[in-house]
Amino acid sequence: MKTALISTFAVLAAACTAFSAAVAQPQAGTLRVRLNADIRSTDPGLNRDANTDAVMMHVVEGLVAYREDATVGPLLAQSVQTSPDGLTYTFKLRPDVRFHNGAPMTADDVVFTWNRYMKPSNNWRCLPEFDGRGVSKVVSVQAPDPSTVVYTLEKPAALFLATLARTDCGAAAVYHRSSLDGDKWKEPVGTGPFKLGEWRRGQFIELVRHDAYAALSGKRDGNTGGKKAEVAKARFVVIPDSSAAKAALLSGAIDLNPDINDEDMAEYKARKDVVLDSQPSMDMQGLLFQTRDPLLKDPRIRRAIALAIDMPELVATVTTGNAKPSRSVVPAPSSYYKTAQAALPKRDLAQAKKLLAEAGYKGQPIKMLATKRYESVYKIAVMAQAMAQEAGIQMDVEVLEWATLLDRYNKGDYQTMAFTYSSRLDPSLSFEMISGPKDKQPRKVWENPEALDLIAKSSVTADRAKRQALFDQLEALLRADVPAVFLYSAVNTSAARSYVTGYQGWPLGLPRLWGVAMRNP
Amino acid sequence: MSSSLALYVSRRLLWTLPTLLLVGLLVFVLMRLVPGDPALLILGDAATPEQLESLRAQYGLDRPVAVQFVLWLAQVVQGDLGHSITSGQEVLPLLLERFQVSAAIVLAAVAAAVLLAVPAGLYAAWKQNSVVDTMVVAAATFFLSIPSFWLGLLLLLFIGLKLGLVPVVGYVPFAEDWRSAITFLILPTITLALIELGVLTRMARASAIETLRLEYVTHARAKGLSERTVLLRHVLPNAFAPTWTLVGLVLGNLLGGIAVLETVFTLPGLGRLLVDSIFARDYPVVQGCLLFTAFIYVLVNLVVDLCYPLFDPRVSAA
Repeated sequence: MKTALISTFAVLAAACTAFSAAVAQPQAGTLRVRLNADIRSTDPGLNRDANTDAVMMHVVEGLVAYREDATVGPLLAQSVQTSPDGLTYTFKLRPDVRFHNGAPMTADDVVFTWNRYMKPSNNWRCLPEFDGRGVSKVVSVQAPDPSTVVYTLEKPAALFLATLARTDCGAAAVYHRSSLDGDKWKEPVGTGPFKLGEWRRGQFIELVRHDAYAALSGKRDGNTGGKKAEVAKARFVVIPDSSAAKAALLSGAIDLNPDINDEDMAEYKARKDVVLDSQPSMDMQGLLFQTRDPLLKDPRIRRAIALAIDMPELVATVTTGNAKPSRSVVPAPSSYYKTAQAALPKRDLAQAKKLLAEAGYKGQPIKMLATKRYESVYKIAVMAQAMAQEAGIQMDVEVLEWATLLDRYNKGDYQTMAFTYSSRLDPSLSFEMISGPKDKQPRKVWENPEALDLIAKSSVTADRAKRQALFDQLEALLRADVPAVFLYSAVNTSAARSYVTGYQGWPLGLPRLWGVAMRNP
Repeated sequence: MSSSLALYVSRRLLWTLPTLLLVGLLVFVLMRLVPGDPALLILGDAATPEQLESLRAQYGLDRPVAVQFVLWLAQVVQGDLGHSITSGQEVLPLLLERFQVSAAIVLAAVAAAVLLAVPAGLYAAWKQNSVVDTMVVAAATFFLSIPSFWLGLLLLLFIGLKLGLVPVVGYVPFAEDWRSAITFLILPTITLALIELGVLTRMARASAIETLRLEYVTHARAKGLSERTVLLRHVLPNAFAPTWTLVGLVLGNLLGGIAVLETVFTLPGLGRLLVDSIFARDYPVVQGCLLFTAFIYVLVNLVVDLCYPLFDPRVSAA
């Protein structure tokens, strides 16, 4: 028995040693990056999620792209001219851009891809934004010469370029016709700094450097600017479990985790072989109220809940001090985040109790929905519950699986809900995400007609100062109505092995692997 | 194969059809009862009502549930389990691809567990109430009580991270590089083997103790047979039958997917596919996975039943 056991362990140890030659060794020229779930497809903007966007933004590019400060700049376009009436956008294309297959990019390619996006049967995520149901209606797209594309709109739309640049719209990327086999999508032949190498479903997506990439001059700037790939290959490795991802990084099985848990920061900081980078993102965390609920339709109760929350304390606890509190629906990294947005109301339990008494609140329980899919959402709910209790508000937290929570959000089927909103890069979109008639869209939390008018104005106003004034007005209205309490803009923290250089997060949150290099470990 | 055996196998296989139909119906109804909308999960919090309607129509989710079921069943009868809502892949090839990963781990782990558990159980039974017996029972109970994800994480941290002997994440198919494939499968296999070792050892020990008390064993000893012969020729075959039944149940259960381990070790197996698909409300994949799992379960238990006569001549298939 003893002999058998010893033999077994000896064989196992020998096997491990024999096979472990290549274990956890950095692979020369290949940057390995964690992805928490597989991508949905390689068809930008059509069958997508955030991970798909993150990977595809390395392979394909649009005419314009978001900069670091969430403004929009040219990418495949050399210049963009808007007519004085705001109806015509003329894009001059960069002459040096080539697709991964070596073919030059022309205006004809732009029109070709645009027509595919606008075909209703393709279900492009952003089709409603360009066919008149959303921010704009594109009447025509023409290519008067090989280097010029002209978009004509029915009405002026201040958000036209910003919507074209949205990553969830696939950045309205331009790709070569050979990406398709007839009408069927094959694989992207784009213009990005990387081309698609291999996609092994459930395991990894490997990108290969596009050696003929025509990089813009200057520094990396959001999704535009200098975008030269430094590594020969970039491999996005699918690792769903965060503990496994941590072990993978610490063992050197991956080189970079673009989004680590806040709780792990202390451990990472104590290590010399790992470098951290924290950047505020445009994702918003907060509490939503159902303003048609018999109890919460009284704004005094909603205000009382808001006053009961100690925002600095809550945010510091939830994010282990990594994020700053912010009451505004406009994310902190936005260039429209000014004094009105930065103002932080103080906790006032006495005032909260007074409002509750005026509203006739007698300790009726209020159910708050949360999920553990996003740890921060759950923590927000627990902290808010405890803080509300101090003001005499009885809140019960119910934890739901993410799909169920999202369903309840979409149906407006809740009293209160801790929720996380994905990035909206323009304040008009931030206000729009919460505003609208509940009869038509039950997911909306705010249905103030005055606010809806202001949002509509902000969507067609191009002048920056005028837009700021509109957003300040909206901010004041939102704080008076309290249909939701926004708490903070999330902060993304990445962890990379110390030999990885040049990686930096940015407000959009998606990882960018161009400009990232690996020294000899 | 004798004609009676062939008849028995055919009858058992025929019985799987109503089982699979029932499983299919249950899964279909249950998935529709669970709140959550695949279209909403795909489009996210920014989805407009028009976009949601359009996507639901694209996947036929806007039709009445009964119609959806009939259409799905008609496809299944033709051997088509449909396409994944999230990835667009055909479900059957996807299941077979993922099953290979789970099966490799499960078969290796259960084989290792049986090879260790049966001798250990037999030895402990032979030395009942001794220190060795206590140690075997304690170890078996210990492994039986440990959650698989916890043991997996511990092994991953110690053997993978601390000692650096095996990779902590990833997977390489055997067809591509068998040496690398083994390194990726060592830890999950060890974890699963240790977990299953507990339950199998306890069963092997209990059966052996029971058998050792039977009169024919006393008779064999009285004839002057060596203890080795008594144990291996007379006790083991009889004591192994209940363990073999348990092996069948364990195999059937595990081959349906070892979702937790596959998640911890980032293996693209059937269990992880099922869990991911449930979270994504990817109805065709969930339905396909569970149908497939039910079929495997029935099949494994049929094979186990057919193997009984090999261990116990008193049992015949007919």
